[in-house]
Amino acid sequence: MTFALVLLLIFIGFFAGGLGALVGVGGGIIVTPLLAIYFGLPMHQAIGVSLMCVIATSTATSSLYVEKHITDIRLGMTLELATTVGALIAALIAHHINRKTLAILFACFLLYSAGSMVKKAWESRKEKKEEAISDYAPQNYPIGFAASLVAGGFSGLLGIGGGPIKVPVMFLFMKVPLRVAAATSNFMIGVTAATSAYVYWGHGDVRVDVAAPLVAGVFAGSLLGARVSRKVRPFYILVLLVGVTGWLAVQMIYKLLTGGFQ
Amino acid sequence: MSQQDAAADRLLSLTLKAGAYIAFGLIAAGLLLQTITNRGAKLAAAGLLVLLATPMLRIIVACIQFFRERDLKYAMVSLGVLGIVVLAYVLGIQT
Repeated sequence: MTFALVLLLIFIGFFAGGLGALVGVGGGIIVTPLLAIYFGLPMHQAIGVSLMCVIATSTATSSLYVEKHITDIRLGMTLELATTVGALIAALIAHHINRKTLAILFACFLLYSAGSMVKKAWESRKEKKEEAISDYAPQNYPIGFAASLVAGGFSGLLGIGGGPIKVPVMFLFMKVPLRVAAATSNFMIGVTAATSAYVYWGHGDVRVDVAAPLVAGVFAGSLLGARVSRKVRPFYILVLLVGVTGWLAVQMIYKLLTGGFQ
Repeated sequence: MSQQDAAADRLLSLTLKAGAYIAFGLIAAGLLLQTITNRGAKLAAAGLLVLLATPMLRIIVACIQFFRERDLKYAMVSLGVLGIVVLAYVLGIQT
């Protein structure tokens, strides 16, 4: 691996980790497709490497959110019972799924994420004053468990964190404040991603030469992102992320249609 | 939030920070060494392994805290999560 390539990977990690921490996504939705489309990595390797980036984002940002008592450890731990089961099953299955199917699933998830971020951006136009977290008691655990199982499954299958699935469910159905839901999801994705990462590592799909520079960049980016996140208006970052994920989805579909991902 | 919970959060945050900085340090040192001497891949790999270990460590720390707070319900939940993660480790890395 050339020096220039290492620098490029560090930069991509920094970009993905920083953006991820600023708006609360794991960065996996950027890293997996970038590696698969532009670096020619097989889907399974792209996913394995991306899982490492998700763990890095989770570890870096959670250290700050837990310190500020925003993360609900009890809620996170409870839902992890479901995300880890989903992740383990998915990781074991993923090895037997062909690259093309994984790529199709990923393209669908990219479009879904882009859509959910358009909605989020629209709502964040008029940013409200930061409110103190009011008292709450999580409700509707069965729905939370179901969503967590699905989120864990997608995480193990596609190398993402699964935040776009869990956070809305925690917020809307479990009646958890949005900030708490985002911080708790951030805490959970590290454990979820590690569960499937063990399986990918065992299959030799976590390439150290690709993962090391990316993870270094992700650490730096997400620590910086989490620190300045309260000072930055999320609107422009969300617009940027919608652009990036939309572009990656189009590229992925194009590559699929022209016979890629074999 | 109780004082005990606040203390538990501090310890957990410290665990996460230690994991993050040790992994980052090892990986950065590995990458640096690689550009100079073409070796260092092992150091970078060690950093990635530390990164892989932090999620397990954070569950263990949370579990111990719940036991110390006599919060048996969540101590059991943590043990359950730990069991699944260890199973993944055994199925994944060991085989």
